[in-house]
Amino acid sequence: MELNINYILNSLSSMLPEITITLTLALIVTVDLFLGNNKKLLPYIAIAGMFVAGYFVIEQFGMNGFASVPVGGKGMLVVDSFGAYFKLLILFASIIVVLFSLSSKEIIENSDRHGEYYTLIFGMILGMFLMVSASDLILLYLAIELVSLSSYVLAGFAKNTMRNAEASLKYIIYGGVSSGIMLFGISIIFGITGSTNLYEINSLIQAPQFQGLVGLLAGILIFVGIGYKISAAPFHFWTPDVYEGAPITITAYLSIASKAAGFALLIRFIKITFIDSVDLQGYWTLVNVIDWQSFIILISILTMTLGNFSALWQNNLKRMLAYSSIAHAGYILLGIAVLSNQGIIAVLIYFAIYAFMNLGAFFIVMLISNKTGGEDMDDYDGLGYTSPLLGVSLTIFLVSLTGLPPTAGFIGKLYLFLALVDAKMIVVAIIALLNSVVSLYYYIRVLKHIYLARPDSTTVSIIPNVGNTILLLVLLLPIIIFGVYFSPLAELAKSSIALFGF
Amino acid sequence: MNIYDIIFYIFALATVGSAFMVVTTRNIVHAAFYLLLTFFGVTGIYVLLTADFVAIVQLVVYVGGILILLIFGVMLTNKITNVQIKTGSLQLFPAAIGVGLFAGILVSALLNTEWKTAAGEAPKTTLNGLGFLLMNEYIIVFEVLGVLLLVALVGAASIARK
Amino acid sequence: MLHVGLNHFLIVSSLLFCLGIFGVVTRRNAVMVLMGIELILNAANINFIAFARYGNFGLQGQIIALFVIVLAAAEAAIALAIVLNIYKIFSTVNVDEIDTLKD
Repeated sequence: MELNINYILNSLSSMLPEITITLTLALIVTVDLFLGNNKKLLPYIAIAGMFVAGYFVIEQFGMNGFASVPVGGKGMLVVDSFGAYFKLLILFASIIVVLFSLSSKEIIENSDRHGEYYTLIFGMILGMFLMVSASDLILLYLAIELVSLSSYVLAGFAKNTMRNAEASLKYIIYGGVSSGIMLFGISIIFGITGSTNLYEINSLIQAPQFQGLVGLLAGILIFVGIGYKISAAPFHFWTPDVYEGAPITITAYLSIASKAAGFALLIRFIKITFIDSVDLQGYWTLVNVIDWQSFIILISILTMTLGNFSALWQNNLKRMLAYSSIAHAGYILLGIAVLSNQGIIAVLIYFAIYAFMNLGAFFIVMLISNKTGGEDMDDYDGLGYTSPLLGVSLTIFLVSLTGLPPTAGFIGKLYLFLALVDAKMIVVAIIALLNSVVSLYYYIRVLKHIYLARPDSTTVSIIPNVGNTILLLVLLLPIIIFGVYFSPLAELAKSSIALFGF
Repeated sequence: MNIYDIIFYIFALATVGSAFMVVTTRNIVHAAFYLLLTFFGVTGIYVLLTADFVAIVQLVVYVGGILILLIFGVMLTNKITNVQIKTGSLQLFPAAIGVGLFAGILVSALLNTEWKTAAGEAPKTTLNGLGFLLMNEYIIVFEVLGVLLLVALVGAASIARK
Repeated sequence: MLHVGLNHFLIVSSLLFCLGIFGVVTRRNAVMVLMGIELILNAANINFIAFARYGNFGLQGQIIALFVIVLAAAEAAIALAIVLNIYKIFSTVNVDEIDTLKD
């Protein structure tokens, strides 16, 4: 045995985004020490670091291979367009969330702990980068834990308020249990194959002993951990409480970036581990260990139905958006259940659009709760008259979340349903469609408060400053533009489905 | 039955028995001490599996670190002077049935599987090999763990400080 | 049957795992729930090391166990900080009494 320095050095060039994120994290910790009480510099360092990382991520489009290969083994980290797409999405959400934080009251009030806030956000980014590009179960588990540990603390960032503290407690208890269960599942897979590398497992699971009860058990145990991250039913029960309790910037972040990373992980795990072959139409044949298709369809129908029906009687807008994000996770799961390249394209398109509309909705909720201190539905009475810009924008975001034309949300749903119909899963498509109709009801309920209710004493008039108006437009315009002119997005998604290996 | 088997049964019994006490005893301080016994039992099992270094780390980190943390948690969150250290349980009966069923499925599934077994000499020393693995194949994991510990430090400090 | 083999270790680990789950489900006290989580992680670790020993997979299993131990320590530290913060605000650490957030 000898130490192979070249292997380590060669891998550096294909891990530049991760290295940038880590260095920025270290920079923030260090700079924070010297800043004293004025932490205004930190968000700008954070954004600069994200842009540099974004540049390196864009360079990764089209690359295809392991980031590093040890002697006589398979690499732990892959570089491919699929990973790059999700990394870009995560960075976009991160930049927007940092911009949110600049005007969020909850965050500003705790300005003495801004060093920790941005450090933990970078911890999350690093974890999510690894989640979307790791090809080894141990590294995947570690990445999930890195994201979780950072977000446990962030969910309770304004730690002296009751609901923040409660959110972080519930998050860590459910999170700890589900990741422990996932680890047990990984240990079983390790026992059967003697490896934790997805590519090696793939070549080994053809053996008969994997196809008994134990393979099914291992798959389900691992899915517990992933399902927790994407808040799929029945592992979703933490979501409403944590989303409602956490600071709203973090809620927005969890509902987009962390969920996107979880979905990327799920897709990579299923495709790389269980794939047998891909046919000309792009449909996958999986090794007969677990009937992933039926399993995911079941989970997804359960998820969207529970999410939509629970959202119906929520009076807190943040909590309602939490349930709506559960429902959206259900729709996105359908894209995976198709088990085809077309389904993955639909997932990629849906996520890009979902990022814009969900971030936008949370942004407006944040601006209003900055003034009112809450997210009660009654605070929105007559908002359309007192603050027309916010009212109209929220309307567009909600219409897009419902999936009505001419907004981008419609395009996302359209691609999803096309993939379903193409795979002859008509019944499932109809169930999803009915679910969308249910969701119409609770989104419309908000609009009723905005336009049909009279402004009363609790309604506030909010005129966003120039920076916030620009940010709002950055989130709003793509919703309208992608609604009619979506071919560039579709092209990008089509070129980004390449996972290394298949 | 040779001496190896006897030692195994002692440790296995200590581990499972004390773990059972951890989850059933009503006194939270007792639970913490039973957990100590569980960790010791697991250490013994590691030694029997020739994982000497892991066993030492288990002792140092689990018994010396995590358990102390948990006991501090118990002390700081209970009014010791009021002898309010009893702790209640929820849905005991349904949970017992559910977990019992699951345990049955799990054990039977694990026992009825043909695992990949191969006779092999146990390595004489593990530390050398572990060090090489850590710096070669697992270098990325090693680095990420470093970041993770930093993040955990920052996070815990962020919550604990004023 | 009496001669100790892989299966014996697997039985110990699965019992430990199920006891951990049982503790997590039934305990009200947050610190006790954390103890249940530690049991689950230990069970997984026994699996990793036992499989590696009997399957002759080399030292991989042991190094994974080391990583998990480190992770468990980090998680316990954060969890305890959160629990102490909860106690400061709610004056209780019983998970069923901490429910200001609900439908």
